[in-house]
Amino acid sequence: MFPIDIRPDKLVEEMMDYTRKLGQGMENLLNADKIDTGVSPKHAVFQEDKLVLYRYDTPEGVTPRPVPLLVVYALVNRPYMTDIQEDRSTIKGLLKTGQDVYLIDWGYPDGADRALTLDDYLNGYLDRCVDYIREAHGLDAINILGICQGGVFSLMYTSMHQDKVKNLVTMVTPVDFQTPGNLLSTWVQSMDIDLAVDTMGNVPGELLNWTFLSLKPFALAGQKYVNMVDVLEDPEKVKNFLRMEKWIFDSPDQAGETFRQFAKDFYQKNGLINGGVVIGEQEIDLKNITCPVLNVYALQDHLVPPAASQAMKGLTSSKDYTENAFPGGHIGIYVSGKAQKEVTPAIGTWLNERSAV
Amino acid sequence: MNKEGYFSDDWLETQRKYWESWTEMSRKAMGLEGGDVTSPWQAALDHWWKAVSPTAPDASKQLMERMMDQGKSLFKMVETFLPGAAGGGDAWGAFSKALDDMQKGFIGSLGGMGEGSNGLHRRLAFWELPYDNWQRMASSLSPLPGDLLRNMPHDAVKEHIDKVLSAPGLGYTREEQGAYQELMRCGLRFQKAFQEYTAFYSQLGIKAIDRLRGHMQELITSGKTIDSARAIYDDWVNCCEAVYAEEVSTPAYAQLHGDLINAQMAFKHRLSVMVDENLGALNMPTRAEIRTLQDRLQEIRRENKRIVRELNALKHAVEGTPARALTQQPAPVRSALTSAVPSAPIKEPVARKKTGAKPTAPTTK
Repeated sequence: MFPIDIRPDKLVEEMMDYTRKLGQGMENLLNADKIDTGVSPKHAVFQEDKLVLYRYDTPEGVTPRPVPLLVVYALVNRPYMTDIQEDRSTIKGLLKTGQDVYLIDWGYPDGADRALTLDDYLNGYLDRCVDYIREAHGLDAINILGICQGGVFSLMYTSMHQDKVKNLVTMVTPVDFQTPGNLLSTWVQSMDIDLAVDTMGNVPGELLNWTFLSLKPFALAGQKYVNMVDVLEDPEKVKNFLRMEKWIFDSPDQAGETFRQFAKDFYQKNGLINGGVVIGEQEIDLKNITCPVLNVYALQDHLVPPAASQAMKGLTSSKDYTENAFPGGHIGIYVSGKAQKEVTPAIGTWLNERSAV
Repeated sequence: MNKEGYFSDDWLETQRKYWESWTEMSRKAMGLEGGDVTSPWQAALDHWWKAVSPTAPDASKQLMERMMDQGKSLFKMVETFLPGAAGGGDAWGAFSKALDDMQKGFIGSLGGMGEGSNGLHRRLAFWELPYDNWQRMASSLSPLPGDLLRNMPHDAVKEHIDKVLSAPGLGYTREEQGAYQELMRCGLRFQKAFQEYTAFYSQLGIKAIDRLRGHMQELITSGKTIDSARAIYDDWVNCCEAVYAEEVSTPAYAQLHGDLINAQMAFKHRLSVMVDENLGALNMPTRAEIRTLQDRLQEIRRENKRIVRELNALKHAVEGTPARALTQQPAPVRSALTSAVPSAPIKEPVARKKTGAKPTAPTTK
């Protein structure tokens, strides 16, 4: 029997339904308020150039743990993903477990930031944020949670400044950049990174958006909007969708020299595995990391395949290395309901067990 | 009347009535006249959108347009398969013919930038997605439209262009002639890379259609049926994504992708060099000069910060205090340069105004 069995009246009904939802959705879109980004109360405590270091307010009834936690997000996209809405917030979950949470917002680099290098980011901005928090709390070492590229930064930073890091958590962090199935890595191999950076100066966020959409172009740039029609009638769901849409396309430009080094040393040369990454005057060696490490990755991650994160095992000198595999994707690990119940409490518990002063 | 007959005649009539009711409604509400009726459902949707879109904010407008474009793709696809969907007569034969026709379209587009390629772009908005993404991105990086070279005649004039480019520059302006020749060479290389990229997607289309055909045969074997336009669309997306994932993970595609980006960058770089030369001629600062200054300034800032850090350490060493003050409570807000200047109020990071994407050709039809 021929498998397509669509009755004409049902098809008309389906088309009518699509149009009706679009019509109603238009009203909801017009009435959608300004899209908020970041929901938990926080205040700025330190600033340098475009970087702002925030400290989140401790919720009522929660006693903060003595060792603060610094969240290091990627330069790609914006850190409000970790606190995107009231019921889907990694930050909120961490606060609930008693973490005293700080977060670095790298800002939006412009032409004046083109010459910033990885050394400037790690031994400059990040180190000064860590020093600020250490000084503020009177501690020698603090906890660090690095996310995605921010996780790579955190690994490198810890390998250079192990004395300032008490516990290290990495989330969806690539270590082996050339595992099978890593499309981004495959595509970058034939790119002339020097020519691209020399030509563009900073690397535009639009180029990154295109690259990420190209991972699944039909689903991410097409099917998603058909599915969207189904939720148009619910103003709250519309707002959630718009919030996520804003985050996806809110891609800061990348400081040219930092992009050059990151793309070449990691995507092309796989430097954390093969060695040869030099930051400032120091060669990165993950064996310098001796503190406890929690490596959290997502099993359905299409940006950072699980194997890319799992490669960390055995590369550090930590005697307390733990892995946590989350059954979800690269974004779901922050925003899914399951992640709120599983991932954040697990991180909080792991940190609390290791954060006695 | 059999089902096939319904789809031949009544289906169009149903749509036409639907369109007329929408037109009537819009006309009453907005005082607009009717439009194209060759594709009634789409026309009705477009008509409605023209009436309401002026009041929509930009962000909502873009989102609605995407949803409308994809909605059109969805139902256009079903229309393509309608004779098969009717089930009357040789349903599988009609369905296969629809797939064959689509494949022929893709095969026709493999010829390059000619009519075949344009035909492909017109055929399915769905297949525009990778191109659309590329165009928007390319446009945002360049003062030129992203598809500037897309439809430029290539093969027909290639021989002539080669002759022009191989002619040596002469006399006082020979360097300038050479620069323009190099710019043209870069443009041609980019065009060639883009053609190859386009051809890749045509091949992908052919393979995706084969995959869909295979999927339908699996459904026949399992006795399952598809009873909605949406289900066909979802299956189609899954087939496309599956084929895409296989094809783009190959070294061959990596080379194609790299060639496209590299060619675009080389073209843009050559343009920048020429702009710089003109700026220099006008005694204005050039991009190259500014970059040199940026590099030197950053080097000085690095040095300054290193010196401040060392001075602080020395100061503490002289005073006999630890380099790091041990306070019990978090310090008030401060900037990184508190020792040099009073701290200014902290500003929230602000995104730069993004360049508007400006593909010249409509991306969906």
